[in-house]
Amino acid sequence: MKHTPAPTSRVSRRRFLAGTGAAIGAAALGRAPAAIGQQVREIQVWHTEVEPQTVKIIQDTSIAEFERKFPGFKVRQQALGWGDLNTKLLASLSAGSPPDLTHLNPFMTASLYTKGLLRPMDELIRALGENDIHEATRKLQYFDGKYYGVTHAMGATYFCERRDLREKKGLKTPETYDDMLKLAAALTEDGRYAFQMPGEKLYMGFVHPAEWMASNGGSWVDAKTWRPQLNSKSMLETLDYLQKLNKFQSQGWSGQKYLDTQAALATGKISMSYLSGARAIGYIEKYAPEGMRDPEHFMPMLRPRGPSGKVGISALDGENWAVFSQSKYPNESFEFLRIFYKKENYIQYCHSVPIHLSPIFKSMLGDPAYLANERIKKWKAWHDVMMTGLSKNSFLPLGFSRPEDNLLPFLAELDGSSIVADMVVEVMVGGKNPKAEADRAQKRSEELLTQLGHKRWS
Amino acid sequence: MRKSALVGWLLLAPSLVLLGGLVVFPVLYNIWLSLFDKHAFMPVQAFVGLKHYRYFASDPEFWTSFYYGSVYAGVTMVLQLGVGVPAALLLNEGFRGRNLLRGVVLFPYMIPTIVAVILWKWLLNDSYGLVNHMLMSAGLVRTPVAWLGPDYIMASLIVTSVWQFFPFVVVTYLARLQTIPPELYEAATVDGASAWRRFVHVTLPQTASVLFVIVLLRSIWMFTKFDTVWLMAGDGGVSRYIRTLPVYAYARSFTYLQAGMGAALAVIMFAMLLAATAVYFRLFRSEEVFS
Repeated sequence: MKHTPAPTSRVSRRRFLAGTGAAIGAAALGRAPAAIGQQVREIQVWHTEVEPQTVKIIQDTSIAEFERKFPGFKVRQQALGWGDLNTKLLASLSAGSPPDLTHLNPFMTASLYTKGLLRPMDELIRALGENDIHEATRKLQYFDGKYYGVTHAMGATYFCERRDLREKKGLKTPETYDDMLKLAAALTEDGRYAFQMPGEKLYMGFVHPAEWMASNGGSWVDAKTWRPQLNSKSMLETLDYLQKLNKFQSQGWSGQKYLDTQAALATGKISMSYLSGARAIGYIEKYAPEGMRDPEHFMPMLRPRGPSGKVGISALDGENWAVFSQSKYPNESFEFLRIFYKKENYIQYCHSVPIHLSPIFKSMLGDPAYLANERIKKWKAWHDVMMTGLSKNSFLPLGFSRPEDNLLPFLAELDGSSIVADMVVEVMVGGKNPKAEADRAQKRSEELLTQLGHKRWS
Repeated sequence: MRKSALVGWLLLAPSLVLLGGLVVFPVLYNIWLSLFDKHAFMPVQAFVGLKHYRYFASDPEFWTSFYYGSVYAGVTMVLQLGVGVPAALLLNEGFRGRNLLRGVVLFPYMIPTIVAVILWKWLLNDSYGLVNHMLMSAGLVRTPVAWLGPDYIMASLIVTSVWQFFPFVVVTYLARLQTIPPELYEAATVDGASAWRRFVHVTLPQTASVLFVIVLLRSIWMFTKFDTVWLMAGDGGVSRYIRTLPVYAYARSFTYLQAGMGAALAVIMFAMLLAATAVYFRLFRSEEVFS
């Protein structure tokens, strides 16, 4: 029997290779419009709002609208931890490839401006409505008659207190350092401490010292000579107060972090967290006992003033957008910001972390559309505290001891140096003599500023 | 002969290039950088010669960091030996489950440092840590101990480090123990030597060479350790009490943003370790060769 072979498709090797090559080419072209003459240009946007809902809102609103309006451009957002921002930005500048558009800490902006690294954005500010931007943030990046930044959103920081515990003791919110000591003593009982401070250097070594100095008539440096003022009367009074205050918090506080303090507050281990923002509401709603997740139990409390101060100052959290001189697409970056601040997009952005991301526009702060958010309605008392603080000028940006600190080009280095953190820890926890430690910090800071080339005093 | 030499050099070339690029060049560049006042990221620099070295000679922070680093390296090295050598001796004996235990002992050394540190920070946390809970339940303390506070942070760091790195001592020492001829122990036993005398007169001399290397390597590695120390306290307030030289060098470079000064600190550490190693070899080399 003759064996008949099964029919086979007869495709030549040449045809097979040609077909495969065509298929690969088509796939490549399909993924790369550049191959047919249209380049996709990518705008790099860095920011510090890492919450997933905020990242999604930015993607679905501002980025989506921008990419529709500007085909051929893609926006790539990158959310960085706030603590990582400075280091990563500086590294990218050093490598010559910074993002096109980024958040900056206000205390860093002057440093970058003096080195000619930022682009002015007066046109954008005018388009947004210069006079509608709240005074608390409008001129933070205003140098030599031009704007070099615009705040993305404002978020007040303050104590978060167990209001019910304070009211049970018949005590009012403290206005002075002495009031605070009395309150702390009254609230430390039954295994619960009055408060806890975050142990990170950035807070206890920079943000809070700025608040303390601002609340007690002091400042980082002399306005004219830039000589540090770390052993001034203002600082010595504050250190004395802190040494007394320390016994009303857990002795391990300096080894714990900001989030530990939020958890401790929500679970009743402390009566006040020293540093809180409206983000604490998330912790309260998740971890506080049922029946206590409301402003009757948890409320913000502004900072007290010192004996040499006129008003207690709390830090206002709010990074500013900035466009670098080296940006590849500066015009498009400014266009992106116009879309970002469009009311319908901006309100959604602010609602992603209600109250903590408060709009910078005065017209929006009282807008019913903004206030209609469910969380803002429930926690309206927190929004009202911030509005009261704004009206009384009780806020300064993070790390500022006075409004003119926006012009100091060395705050980032001072923050990074641990000089102030060491002083605070040695006095509060080590129980060392405040004057000796303040003198030591003064010497170290003078050395640092001299090394950085900022010595103006003799 | 020439051709074979050329072939030899060609075969060595890739390793030499790697060594040069990854070791020699960074060291030389670091020395060069230490002679400049250089901002960590901005294009700002000026030649200052030995200014940074003169500065650190009288910088109290430098000497405090040196002190903390020496305490940390010395104590952890001694404890690693103190725990690792007995553990190796035990694992050298025959008993049921020995192989399983040998694997378990390696566990701390295998996990990433960040995992080890987070684990210990949770255990030692004074608000919710297991250690305080157990101590209070047993009535040994009445209030939580601040293990991560200034008074105990160095002890906590040492405990974490010893736990994580003693397996290296175990593995290295055990490997040597297993090559000691059993006849030596049999002879000693016949002569009436107790367990302790067998250890002193047989085990120790036989393992002196490996102990020499372990002490050298562990001391250098603990003195230059950055990750465990940094992760334990970061740059938070309490870091002041465990700020060793590597952490100070990092801080000078990346938080003070003074790269030149950070480089100078690295050069100083390099010189210190070189000098210490030279002294160590001089003191113990003859014994090492003898053994």
